[in-house]
Amino acid sequence: MNELEMLVEALGIELENERRSAVLAAFQPVAQEIAKLRSLDLTDVHPAVVFSVMPANEQD
Amino acid sequence: MQENPITRPIAELSADLRLGKLTSVDLLENALDRIAMLDRKLESFVCLAEDARVQAAAADREIGQGRWRGPLHGVPVAVKDNYLTADMPSRAGTDAPGVHFARQDSAVVAKLREAGAIIVGKTRMHEFAWGNVTPPSKNPWDLNRVPGGSSGGSGAVVAARIVPVAMGSDTGGSIRIPAALCGTVGLKPTFGRVSRAGIVPHSWSLDHAGPLSYTVADSVYALNAISGHDPKDPGSARTDVPDFTAALGQPITDLRVGICRNHMFDNNQPDVDAAIEAAIRFYRDAGAQLVEFELPILAFGLGAIFAIELSSSTAYHSRNLASGAVTGFTNDVRTLIEMGRLITGPDYLKAEQLRRVLIDDLARVFADVDVIIGPTCPLTAWPIGEWTVRVGAQDESVLAASWRLTYPWNLAGLPAISLPCGFDSNGLPIGLQLAGRPFDEMTLIRAADAYERGHGWKDMHPKL
Repeated sequence: MNELEMLVEALGIELENERRSAVLAAFQPVAQEIAKLRSLDLTDVHPAVVFSVMPANEQD
Repeated sequence: MQENPITRPIAELSADLRLGKLTSVDLLENALDRIAMLDRKLESFVCLAEDARVQAAAADREIGQGRWRGPLHGVPVAVKDNYLTADMPSRAGTDAPGVHFARQDSAVVAKLREAGAIIVGKTRMHEFAWGNVTPPSKNPWDLNRVPGGSSGGSGAVVAARIVPVAMGSDTGGSIRIPAALCGTVGLKPTFGRVSRAGIVPHSWSLDHAGPLSYTVADSVYALNAISGHDPKDPGSARTDVPDFTAALGQPITDLRVGICRNHMFDNNQPDVDAAIEAAIRFYRDAGAQLVEFELPILAFGLGAIFAIELSSSTAYHSRNLASGAVTGFTNDVRTLIEMGRLITGPDYLKAEQLRRVLIDDLARVFADVDVIIGPTCPLTAWPIGEWTVRVGAQDESVLAASWRLTYPWNLAGLPAISLPCGFDSNGLPIGLQLAGRPFDEMTLIRAADAYERGHGWKDMHPKL
């Protein structure tokens, strides 16, 4: 079982065998690009994610 | 009535409508005639508004009474099928059972109606705006080729001169790719400039709404109508909305044009590279200053947009995953939605860190340049059903190649426009892409309009 298959198991993602093969095959090129992203050291960079402390209906 | 008035740009239509030389009813009938004649081939409309003639008659009455609302008043426009509409069903490109959308106007549709536009119908899109093809729509320049996507229906109906403006949405290039492949203008405004309220979400922090159009000016008229803060869209910006028409017809002698020599020129079809280099020479000869630079962080951009887009889309569709509704989706879209569960939390946040670096790097570039120029797509429209093509020196997946040059501007949220800049050796349109500073659509429009005025591409139409 490779890393991706173990991830599917660990996350409890329910996929029939045929679907699992198709999804994992399609994910391979994506995984390669994400591996490049993981290789970057961005420790000191705050992610471009912000939130408002106000409730949604009071943000205007 | 002149022959096929609907094929003319909005400035001309609007002047004639206002002077009573043309009626909105006649203009609409012309659009409907062209739909009846051409859409059998293009398959680009999914729905027509039953009340379109009522809308047009009302516009004629108002204009006749001196209550002219502006350049879009009485002009037929189309909207992509992921824009909710009160008078037409919305399907966001899906035929899956158990998926329903509200019958109410999205913010953009409401603004278009307020501006007096006639909403003539809904255009075809790829299911839930995934991907960059729009089956079964055809490219008007070659019916055996794709129009691009996911706003492919909008690209095809504008290129076929059925309506001067059709709205699209753009998560990784879905306005600009069909604009480039179909030979139209396509404008993705700055993130936050135009409300997405009432547009079926694909990826909340990447989705943008904007027009595809005959000309730069036509997109500007639409942008004027649809811009502005909307509390119903959490991404909406509180920022002033200028009159974007002030950027039309302006000189560019003071313009600084940036050329990103890595990534944007790494692997394009030779005809595409040649057309873009000719466009760069146009700006140089017009007095603009050329500034070359590199942006190494782009080498990591694809992983970032994959992480954000996949995880966001999967989160949005979690109800459809749980209910089993995804089994009714097309196979490729179902696979992408199922795949998004493999993106980890750290991957997503690292992508958002990458995004921060990209935005900051671009801000440094924009200290020295006013717009960044390059191709919209590395390739022209490919044959329907073909999944790999020769791009530059290698065979490449058309889907991977087609959004390579557009998605950076979604990650950064910057305004970007695609406009026609020539044809390849097969007679297929090539798109020139310009990107600008956040909320500086004025400079972007000034640069694009100057290029358009200096060339005759907008007057070249497909023979259907």
